[in-house]
Amino acid sequence: MMAKKTRTVHRHHSLHCADVFSHICENLDADLDSPQCREIKRHIAGCPDCTALLDSLKKTVYLYRTVPIPTIPASSRRKLYSVLSLETGRRLK
Amino acid sequence: MKTVSHISDGELIERSRTGDTHAFTQLVKRYEQLVYGFSYKVCRDKEKAEETLQDTFINVYRKLSQFNGESKFSTWLYSIVTNNCLMKRRKRKLDTEMVSLDDPPVSDKHEQRTIPAWTDSPISSLMNSELRARLDKAILKLPMEYRVVFILRDVENQTAEEAAKILKLSVPAVKSRLRRARLFLRKELNDLMVE
Repeated sequence: MMAKKTRTVHRHHSLHCADVFSHICENLDADLDSPQCREIKRHIAGCPDCTALLDSLKKTVYLYRTVPIPTIPASSRRKLYSVLSLETGRRLK
Repeated sequence: MKTVSHISDGELIERSRTGDTHAFTQLVKRYEQLVYGFSYKVCRDKEKAEETLQDTFINVYRKLSQFNGESKFSTWLYSIVTNNCLMKRRKRKLDTEMVSLDDPPVSDKHEQRTIPAWTDSPISSLMNSELRARLDKAILKLPMEYRVVFILRDVENQTAEEAAKILKLSVPAVKSRLRRARLFLRKELNDLMVE
């Protein structure tokens, strides 16, 4: 029982949170299947801080991806084609 | 007979170069929302997005002969939009609230002993006007050089290599800016999202 606990602690500390932070921040969407990434995955699973960081970074990105972006207003499109008509010397519509 | 939607970008570009304004119009129609949307995401302002839209397609028309087809047309387009956004920022000097990330207040190292967990509430229920305002405010604080990297990589889904090509940066530089931008935005939204 003791030995198992020691192994768990060792695995958690075999990588420093700072290294994992750096990896997480750069590779949010990366597939964590390489040998190095498997170690990172194990660390994250046993580390509440790294789990919270990963989750919050993913949510940050998700928020910016999902916030609605306006489509071009009709007036902006009209201005665009008017400016391009002047530029090309032909009527664009 | 090919319908317009089946004509490749390359063909539309070739025809546009020979003065075919109908082909150029189709090219504009194909990419106008991408340009407007990207500009809006960068400057968070409809008026600036409209100006950038016009400037970008004028630049495209004038520089079309310089497009060599080695990269995707969208990559070339992103680089023109980005340059326009950067130039406008320099001209207007309006981004006074931006912070400096050269010596980032948010360290890449373990920034705090305990990181609080963010709420698991469905994001849709959080997407209210307060949150939208906070998202805008946070991203406008990011220096433009970091903001465009974040938007290209995380919002527009460009690869690190494509973003590097668009911004004329090395891939490690793109990764470094992305890391700092993500950490900065996370920190800015933290108090709103903590459970």
